[in-house]
Amino acid sequence: MPAPIRVLTAVPICDGHDSAINTINLEFIRHGVEVVYLGYHRSVGDIVRAAIQEDVRAIGISSYNGGHSEFFGAVVDLLRKKGADDIKVFGGGGGTITHDDAAMMKRKGVDEIFFAGTSLEEMVEFVHQHYGKARRKRARPKSPDQELAHKLTDIEDRAANLTALSARVSKAGSTRTDPAAVRTKSPRAARVIGFTGPGGAGKTTLIDELVLRFLNKNRQSRLAILSHDPSVVGRGALLGDRATMINSQNDRVFMRSMATRGQAGGLSPATHDCLALLARSGFDYVIIETVGTGQEAMPFQKNGIVDLTVLVMNPDYGSRLQLQKIVMLDLADVVVVNKSDLQRARTAHTEIEQRLEQNRRDQQLIDTVAKRHRDPGVDRLFDLILGGRDGALQRQSGSDRPRTSQRDVPTKKRRKR
Amino acid sequence: MSKLGQVVEAVEKYNKFVLDQVRRARTDEPFGRDLLGRWNDIKAKIPITRAPTGLPLPRLALPEIDEPGEIARYLFGEGLPGEFPFLNGAYREMYLEPIREVESFEKNGESKEKKTGKKIPQVEEPTRLFSGLMLAEDTNERFHYLTRHQRTHRLSTAFDGPTLYGIDSDADGVFGKIGEGGVAIDTVEDMMRLYDGFDLGSPNFSASMTISGPAPIIMAMYIAAAKRRFGPKVVPRLRGTIQADIFKEVQAQNETIFPIEPSLRFLTDMVEFTTREMPRWYPISISGYHIGEAGSTPVQQAAYTLSNGFAYAEMFVTRGIPVDQFGPRLSFFLDCGLDVEYIALARVSRRIWAIGMRDVFGAGPKAQLYKLHTQTSGRSLIAAEFKNNLTRTAAELMLAYMNATNSCHSNSADEPFTTPSEEWIRLAAHGQAILLEESGIFKHTMNMLSGSPGMKAVERAVEAAILDEFREIERIGGVLAAVEERYQRSQIQNAAHKYEQQIYDGTRPIIALNKYRNGSDDIPEVKLARTPRKKQQLQVDRLAKFKKKNADKAKRALDKLAAIVERGENCFPALLEAVEVCSLGQITGRLQDVVGRFRPMV
Repeated sequence: MPAPIRVLTAVPICDGHDSAINTINLEFIRHGVEVVYLGYHRSVGDIVRAAIQEDVRAIGISSYNGGHSEFFGAVVDLLRKKGADDIKVFGGGGGTITHDDAAMMKRKGVDEIFFAGTSLEEMVEFVHQHYGKARRKRARPKSPDQELAHKLTDIEDRAANLTALSARVSKAGSTRTDPAAVRTKSPRAARVIGFTGPGGAGKTTLIDELVLRFLNKNRQSRLAILSHDPSVVGRGALLGDRATMINSQNDRVFMRSMATRGQAGGLSPATHDCLALLARSGFDYVIIETVGTGQEAMPFQKNGIVDLTVLVMNPDYGSRLQLQKIVMLDLADVVVVNKSDLQRARTAHTEIEQRLEQNRRDQQLIDTVAKRHRDPGVDRLFDLILGGRDGALQRQSGSDRPRTSQRDVPTKKRRKR
Repeated sequence: MSKLGQVVEAVEKYNKFVLDQVRRARTDEPFGRDLLGRWNDIKAKIPITRAPTGLPLPRLALPEIDEPGEIARYLFGEGLPGEFPFLNGAYREMYLEPIREVESFEKNGESKEKKTGKKIPQVEEPTRLFSGLMLAEDTNERFHYLTRHQRTHRLSTAFDGPTLYGIDSDADGVFGKIGEGGVAIDTVEDMMRLYDGFDLGSPNFSASMTISGPAPIIMAMYIAAAKRRFGPKVVPRLRGTIQADIFKEVQAQNETIFPIEPSLRFLTDMVEFTTREMPRWYPISISGYHIGEAGSTPVQQAAYTLSNGFAYAEMFVTRGIPVDQFGPRLSFFLDCGLDVEYIALARVSRRIWAIGMRDVFGAGPKAQLYKLHTQTSGRSLIAAEFKNNLTRTAAELMLAYMNATNSCHSNSADEPFTTPSEEWIRLAAHGQAILLEESGIFKHTMNMLSGSPGMKAVERAVEAAILDEFREIERIGGVLAAVEERYQRSQIQNAAHKYEQQIYDGTRPIIALNKYRNGSDDIPEVKLARTPRKKQQLQVDRLAKFKKKNADKAKRALDKLAAIVERGENCFPALLEAVEVCSLGQITGRLQDVVGRFRPMV
């Protein structure tokens, strides 16, 4: 089974009409397409950057607020300039785009414009027909980001093929990729931070707020984000984190959205190799976000690449007994109670604190309100992560200078276990 | 319990009160006699008018009842037009022809000229004209064209995308959007051009500005432009409306630029200023229109609009603005489509608002009024055989006036493809004139179509459904909590999906689309209004000049504004200063540095 088609969809800048694209996204997903949804009010630069990083086959743009000829044209031009014209552009805008406009947009290089009255089936059919075939040999990448994006696609495709193969050979087949491709031992500079936790705890918003702090703190640093959304084998997925992560749409952030493609546990069959690649690709930090996980999940345990694990909790986890069942509470280096403005947050903090004390490890517990701009709790988490970074550097350089605080490097202990 | 929960209780209590009055009128004889006497007095005072054919009619139609219980049910449960709980109308008389001929007719023309030397209308024209295109001077020209035959100048302004999102025309990648779908406003100088030639301080002028995210900045620009043209004394005389409805943006329209809480704070800053300094201004138009257009059911539209309104009221009270000061300056904006609920949607809304404001917020009579602007449904209009849209709009207008809307906008039939063109705008406006002035449906008698058994049945069903929605929002923790957990957004999206599904499976007939199709789906050849590149470039050039001229002053003004916002003070006075030397985008950018950007809800 070939890897699913990946497309990126978005609504142009100064346009909030997202009801059409929401419907179309769902229809694409139903028919096996993985949709990276960028959201509404998105600039040409944001769209093209995302498309290249995600290495999608095509960009679908839904425009209802005028200026479409210029906007679609600018997207095509920028793709070309970036050497990414193998990424195609299609779109629509109900009755706001006339036949004359569409003809002109096609001359500029747009593949197709759908008019009012086009059925969803026709759109799905079009995407499968035009973007479903295997890629021809690709031109040499024009930028490091593009090269990285291509390599990530190769890893994902290979994992998809292996999954299909192992499914055919043995129902109980492992979805692990070829061990030879894993090069975790190679030297790397990036510090890898793993975020996990139940759906709706606010992981994505929290990460985006941290990204804003990273970008402001050091004007040169670069980050990578590997984000996950669930999907089952052979079906599509809505990869929607970018729509929420407004601060992460930045040239200094490389973001890749992945569907789990049937693998349980919060990550994708290709995660391990993709992460390994990102970790040695010159980023200062690599952030990995799992899908919303259940109580038994321990996504980072076997991985070994992750330096610091952060469990993001919602104050509404149910009874106190539920806490005993959450495996990650034993394993996480940092536990964050997000949405700590909710009524239950104080109780949650106390109960989780007690739960962590059982572990007798230096686990950190931090309360945040990620949705709040400049939240002091997020500042604390950020400082903690930076502190850990210093610790990691010290370890590498073999320095035995006393660290400012043992609590700043909670990962160290876990490593020893 | 939030105020919304208290509103539910207040309406239930009021309904029980009405039933108690009915019972009392039937059992307590003096009380019943008293009511009957009052009823007879009311009837006796109703003037008689005559249709052009000579047919005599009462100017106010009342139900034919003479039993005290039923009189109580009517007077307390519905109220006369203009009386609590305002089911039949916010005012005693609306849309009616001037009284001039009432007595004179009786006296055979004797006193005819005495009273009507000059025809002074009792109510102002309810027609509103929505416009905005290209640059400020182009929209200005359109405004003059549209108002050339009108006594009063009520201008409704649409802004282009960059303005709605608080960014400048020179921002990256927005060039093609300049002047598209509305007028481009970057600076106070644009604002001066926009209303050039109109007397902003005159009672016959009002400006309505359809903008929410950057509303406080645009409001400050309007005030600054008015001051530059007419001096500072014009400020208390300014009339108009600015939409400024943050909740509905987050729930439905997606034009929010700051996070919810600072957005609400800036709004409250503005409301605090305008209620004090500009007593004739409506600083917020609580809008269901966009909720309806985004696909909600009519009940959701009414319920979210009302609950948003109550949430704003609660916020303003918390800030310390007296309810009788801001209450009369709130207005509402609803969509009117073809679903049966629209027969009574606004009537029920008016009643719930009045009860909630009086019994929960302690508002006086003027602060109890649900003053309503209606627009016919844009979503109900389709491209296929688009001339049918005239009929759809006409039916919607009929429903809107049956609900005693205070003002109304009728959509152009060509709206599915473009910014309305002059021909279709004129036909849309004529639709209203035909209904109100040419036909006798609304101009002779108030309550002409009120109170039918069917209408009452719809009223009861709609009220119950709205209260159910309130209870659900209350259960979640109030309007703000529900907004943050995307409750209204999800409900609207779900309803929109069902609506599309019904069109698809044919259970919702749309003529010429899924029923009685003629087979051709081509968009008719309609001339589209597009902004020429030259004009877009002109706007960018003008903005560059403005920025260059004010560079130093802008920096100081922005620093001052940021400091005030950091300190948590009312920032509106600082905004008034900033707009003199800063562009919209400069101000938005600086405010976002301080309070953050809005994170879209997906």
